[in-house]
Amino acid sequence: MTAITATLAKRVNEGAETNAFKCYQCKRCSIGCPVASYGDLHPAQVMRAVQLGDIDAAAASKFIWLCTGCETCTTRCPQGIDIAAVMDELRKIAREEKMVTKDAGLASVLKLNLDSMKRWGRMSEIELVALDKLSRPSSMMADVGLGLQMFRRGKLPIIPGRGDRKKIKDMWARAEAIENERRAARRVPVVDKERGEG
Amino acid sequence: MTQLAYYPGCSLHGSSKEMGDTAKATAAVFGYEFAEVPDWNCCGNTAAHSINRLFADALPANEIAKIRSDMGLDRVVVPCAACFSRFMTTIYEMTEGEQNEQTRADVEKVVGRAVDTDLKVLNLVDLYHDQIGLDELKAKVTRPLEGLKVAAYYGCLLTRPPKVTLAEDPEYPTHMDEVLRALGAEPVEWDYKTDCCGASLALCEQPMVRDLIRKIVGNARERGADVISAACPLCQVNLDTRQFDIKNEDASWQQVPVAFLSQLVGTALGLPASEMGWKRHVVDVPALA
Repeated sequence: MTAITATLAKRVNEGAETNAFKCYQCKRCSIGCPVASYGDLHPAQVMRAVQLGDIDAAAASKFIWLCTGCETCTTRCPQGIDIAAVMDELRKIAREEKMVTKDAGLASVLKLNLDSMKRWGRMSEIELVALDKLSRPSSMMADVGLGLQMFRRGKLPIIPGRGDRKKIKDMWARAEAIENERRAARRVPVVDKERGEG
Repeated sequence: MTQLAYYPGCSLHGSSKEMGDTAKATAAVFGYEFAEVPDWNCCGNTAAHSINRLFADALPANEIAKIRSDMGLDRVVVPCAACFSRFMTTIYEMTEGEQNEQTRADVEKVVGRAVDTDLKVLNLVDLYHDQIGLDELKAKVTRPLEGLKVAAYYGCLLTRPPKVTLAEDPEYPTHMDEVLRALGAEPVEWDYKTDCCGASLALCEQPMVRDLIRKIVGNARERGADVISAACPLCQVNLDTRQFDIKNEDASWQQVPVAFLSQLVGTALGLPASEMGWKRHVVDVPALA
């Protein structure tokens, strides 16, 4: 049993620039969420877990990797909480705390997507799909027929377009340096099960 | 010709090339020339903001700085809804967001110069509805889309969240419907115009995304639509290509073609069908191609 602490919510609030404590569980986010029924938790439950500091429930939930970022919850929240940004922040925390669940296909897709844009300055769709297949054996046979269809119709160009690769590398380095400082400042007592401090 | 800055984004140079081509060709009819942002980089889309929020803001900010300071233009056409959302989010976070002063300072440090965010960002619907205008559009229609019933599909990021996109009615938007009406088409009332297509989850959660698409396309068909009009490359590609899988699973599935709004505009303006890119679609578009 995780002790009840405010540390997770504070970290989420700072990273997502919002206030998760304002949630009073009206569940409008969950009602409007197109993928709520596919996960383990629905959005309002994730918000409650954040408020209680239950990082095991929140950051290790399947739901945060099913969220499509459609922004319906953020748009409809009567308390003005940026719930979609909370899901984003939980994804970051899951990566930092090594809590990404094994079945989180989106974690791999997002990482490969970012790598591709950093490599070329632009995202290569065919590279993303190919590397995803290699990194996740479960995806190996998915969409093969469809991929061929798309390729035949010229929808998947092989040669990646190139942007300003030097600029993107410089910006990434500077943004990571600033964010790392912030992460370090935020990180310390994210979960402290023994002391229940927060 | 009046110059508009143009940010195509990765999809319009890739899977949805026809969207960019037709946006450009249709705007030219009204005297607008698209000036592509030189050496543009990816907008960052979903990946960057779920990994490094500052980098996610810096990517569009760098393009904005080029448009304002190097190109000297004050409006940019960003047809991809995901890119549009990233541009608008960056501008919001640098001007009105809770920590806007800190964000601006950090972003400018990362970009390496001052970023003038006084920029009008036009998505594909805005291009026709706001920049060209419905009356102008109507006046140039030579092949009205009479009798064509169209479901205007907005998806997520053209309208949500409204504090960022500045959309008038995020729950039941009508600007695309108005554009379609100006083309002579008949927009249908339907229930899924702002529901999510599943976005990039199509690459890893296929059964879930197929469910979402069955609901969206099925409702458009029940409401009598001959074709769905999309204004986002990811929406179009998901709705179009995933019907291939759905049909494989269920032979009785009746497909509904999914066009880009810009292809419908081009058709109504009398541009040649061969230039609309219909052959790139997985579900044939028999009424228009």
